[in-house]
Amino acid sequence: MTAGGIENFPYLFAAYAAVWIALFVYLLRLQRRNRELEEEMRELRELLRR
Amino acid sequence: MARLLPAATCGTMLAALWIVFMVVPNEREMGMVQRIFYFHVAAFWAAYLGFFVVAGASVRYLWTGSRTADHLAEAAAEVGILFCTVGLIMGSLWARPIWGVWFTWDPRLTMTVILWSIYTSYIMLRAFGGDDEAVRRWAAVLGLIGVLDIPIIMVSVRLLRGIHPAVITQKEGGSGLADPWMKVGLYVTAAAVLLLAGWLIRLRAQSARLTEEVGVLRQEALARGGAA
Amino acid sequence: MHAALAILRKDLDIEWRTREGLSTVFVLAVMLLVVFAVAHDLPPDEAPALAPSVLWATFVLTGLLGVQRGFLLERENDCLAGLLTAPVDPASIYAGKLAANVVVLGAMQAVVLPLVGLFLHVDMVPALPGLVVVLLLGNLGFSALATLFAAVAVRTRAREVMLPLLLLPLVVPLLIGAVVATRMVLADGLGAARDGLTVLAAFDVVFVVAGWLLFTYVVRD
Repeated sequence: MTAGGIENFPYLFAAYAAVWIALFVYLLRLQRRNRELEEEMRELRELLRR
Repeated sequence: MARLLPAATCGTMLAALWIVFMVVPNEREMGMVQRIFYFHVAAFWAAYLGFFVVAGASVRYLWTGSRTADHLAEAAAEVGILFCTVGLIMGSLWARPIWGVWFTWDPRLTMTVILWSIYTSYIMLRAFGGDDEAVRRWAAVLGLIGVLDIPIIMVSVRLLRGIHPAVITQKEGGSGLADPWMKVGLYVTAAAVLLLAGWLIRLRAQSARLTEEVGVLRQEALARGGAA
Repeated sequence: MHAALAILRKDLDIEWRTREGLSTVFVLAVMLLVVFAVAHDLPPDEAPALAPSVLWATFVLTGLLGVQRGFLLERENDCLAGLLTAPVDPASIYAGKLAANVVVLGAMQAVVLPLVGLFLHVDMVPALPGLVVVLLLGNLGFSALATLFAAVAVRTRAREVMLPLLLLPLVVPLLIGAVVATRMVLADGLGAARDGLTVLAAFDVVFVVAGWLLFTYVVRD
């Protein structure tokens, strides 16, 4: 069970990198989707008003 | 209060990262790889939170037909699975240097994989179940059944051939947290991750609500267009 | 209660009259057994260790198809809609269908058990009473969830694959309990299987009740 040391740094890095990338991508995707939907909603409301 | 969520999340997250990487000492036996532990555990807390929210929202939906509850369930399932997957990946990357294997069928891990499968099937049902209104109800039933299964899963996986060395469980469970800063690190990280999960659920639920509203507006526009 | 029994009788009647369902399920089970036995290809002294898992894997996979079929037939003729317009409580429909599935799957188990004994060189006879108990408990729990979700699956777009997708993750604990209990019963008799039986019993109680209460939400239109 002795695995201490700098040689395991790649695992540590990979773990945090994978996680952060995944979360960021998801967050940005959600925000973009919501923006698009709000945009579409505005357009449709305009259309219906006429 | 909701407005503060992004800021609070970012703030806590920075604090957590600082503590985990700068303050906490190197763990005696596992070395620096042990730092994965903080986010790994926090991710699963977020996942479980998500699954229980799905169950609660499902019950609410079945009881009252509240659309908000339905959107919440949809969102919590997706975010829950996201954090569950994240937790599994981190666990695997921690296990490889420490145990020598990328994966093992020990009780805790088996249970996590089963839960992951249940909520993935929930998402599949919502995605591919068709456009019938009834899909919401069916998904709610599944969400509730999933949570009812949890205690039974916990008991059943203990029957599996246990190969998980106790010393690892202890470490995972926290009795290996020698330094007080480690406890602080865990709690701050958990807070940060839970806030993040909350933020993502809120965004996703909003997405569901907007999709529904846009759908309604589209129908109306088509109808009008036909009339004209 | 009457309604449930009536539905049970109707479903079993249909199964018996055509015999299509029963025979295809039986043959399928046998074929699966052959696949498992051949895929492992173990010598007679090692094969018995495989019996519990092969028994239950076959049961689950055949059971999925058997239950699904029952609901597909209903759907084709819109029987369920007809049943619901009658003053029949959905919970009774559930009870009736659950009972019918238990009977059909039980018959399948009766065919599979001796064949597992034959193909994997296991003497089932000494442990028979214990095995029957385990088979029954496993059957009941599986059928409880399968009946509930088959009603969902046959209405969805991806219907062939939806039932396994929904059901398999949920029944894993049942599978674990059943396999462990079977292994213990074959080794040391019913008393040794207490842990597995506890899991099975808990599963059965929780999901028969849950199915009973929730079926109405699934079929309401």
